[in-house]
Amino acid sequence: MKNIWIITLFTLREAMARKVFLFFAGISALVLICSILIFSFVDTDSFNSMMMHSNEKMMMRDLVTGIEMLIVNPLSGLCLLLAIFASASFVPNMLEKGNIDLLLSKPISRNQLLLGKYFGGLLVVFLNIFFLVVGVWLIISFKFSYWDFSFLSVILIVTFTFAVLYSAIVFFGVISRSSIPGMMVAYFIFIILSPVLLLYKDKLKPVISGDLLKTVLDGIYFIIPKTAELMGEITLKLASGRSVDNYQPVLTSLLFLIFMLGISIFIFRKKDF
Amino acid sequence: MIAIQTSSLSKIYSSGKKKINALNELSLNVPAGTIFGLLGPNGAGKTTLIKILLGITYPTFGSAKILDTDISDYSIKQKVGYLPENHKYPPYLNAVEVLSFFGKLSGVDGIKLTKKIDELLETVKLTERKKSKVKTYSKGMMQRLGLAQALINDPELIFLDEPTDGVDPIGRKEIRDVLVDLRNQSKTIFLNSHLLSEVEMITDRVGILNKGKLLREGSVKELTEKKEEYKIRLNSDSADLTKFASSETSIYKNSDGTFTIKVDNVSSLNKLIDKIRNESILVQEIILQKSTLEEMFISVINEAEGADKK
Repeated sequence: MKNIWIITLFTLREAMARKVFLFFAGISALVLICSILIFSFVDTDSFNSMMMHSNEKMMMRDLVTGIEMLIVNPLSGLCLLLAIFASASFVPNMLEKGNIDLLLSKPISRNQLLLGKYFGGLLVVFLNIFFLVVGVWLIISFKFSYWDFSFLSVILIVTFTFAVLYSAIVFFGVISRSSIPGMMVAYFIFIILSPVLLLYKDKLKPVISGDLLKTVLDGIYFIIPKTAELMGEITLKLASGRSVDNYQPVLTSLLFLIFMLGISIFIFRKKDF
Repeated sequence: MIAIQTSSLSKIYSSGKKKINALNELSLNVPAGTIFGLLGPNGAGKTTLIKILLGITYPTFGSAKILDTDISDYSIKQKVGYLPENHKYPPYLNAVEVLSFFGKLSGVDGIKLTKKIDELLETVKLTERKKSKVKTYSKGMMQRLGLAQALINDPELIFLDEPTDGVDPIGRKEIRDVLVDLRNQSKTIFLNSHLLSEVEMITDRVGILNKGKLLREGSVKELTEKKEEYKIRLNSDSADLTKFASSETSIYKNSDGTFTIKVDNVSSLNKLIDKIRNESILVQEIILQKSTLEEMFISVINEAEGADKK
């Protein structure tokens, strides 16, 4: 565990040197400052008392969560886009000649090395999202004097979405020793494939006539991580404290993560450097 | 104690249909507390051997132990240091951060690590630049930092792949002094180098590798001795030994008045000395001739290449 932690912290240091995450932290800080300024001009006291007296706590929750999501949703998407870009080179950099030789000459197993790199990437995204979400939550909660901790679950769901995409990035990093294939696959899943498959499942399935095509699309839908659902419906429900009816997108995405990480470790263990 | 022990160690790389024998049934023992130099032309398999011993590459077959532990047990690397040929450190780190990271990975931390870092930076003369980013370092400074990195865990066995590459003559001498000092502390050093004169100066034992095969192995003295060639210095300049030349003994007079004698075996040499003594010529000195390590290396490689062509 100690070795994994050393590599995790080292990856965090690498990310800081990369500046992309600092850039995102800067954007988050700017958004938080703007939010403070904007909300300082909004009079919420009369609104608060009206809501409390009229027993409309549900409306209050929806309003607060709505404002929070309005700020956090686009920024968490941006965070994922930047995180994919910045973290795609973590594994290929580690595998560069002269670097991997040194790392493998130390008393650390290959599993620990790869897992350390993986958790390092997750830690970077977690810290960025944590800063943004907790910042927004504190500002809005203070302003409306309404504290709903459900919104903080956004930190976990965004980090989990990145964890799933990052497992694919790590896999392609291990097999190709290049950052480009992993980055392309992650962007393709996140921006195109997952939203299209969700559209197929929700809207297009009834209008498709061929059974074979439907079977193929259903198969792809279950294999591919469901980032559109994770970042969409599931995030909204969890953030507003409502129960999630269907955990299938979380479970199948988790299976994808386990499979990709497992196969990456298997290949990495067998590789000659 | 044997620090490195390999048995029929082989590595075959496949490139399409072509198979390359990077190591060919290599069996080698390196005694502990010695400096062992592995010599060989480019592509001989020297780096492959180190990589296999450190678990960076896997052998195709054969087995190996370092410090009496099978190489598959990665925990033994706590007692091992390594300076790769083309090492790369993250450019955004400074020397202290590099040593701190690799020290922690090697199981050293706390005050012990801080002390060791200061001590090593002093040894490799990087104290003044310890806070500079490594991307600003020259090749020689990188090599010195690499050496410090290899020693951060106070290892018992140290692998150095071209440690003086890119280092100026004064820096090379300093590195040699560090290595000799380490040997005096009973550390084992496994050295890959192209600089034969340097290897000759500090190594106790040498191996010559070509196309994955170990061609020769022994002490520098054993390998460089020319067993059938002697130089004889006489008491008188007027005496001429060339008259004693025969089918089994060839004799040449050197410009300094000495004679070079090539004999088939020691008994021929003794017969010649008997003849000289019978003529009451006084022999002042008989010196066994040595070749340099470089001469010996070239002759061994040429011999092997010739045999391969046949």
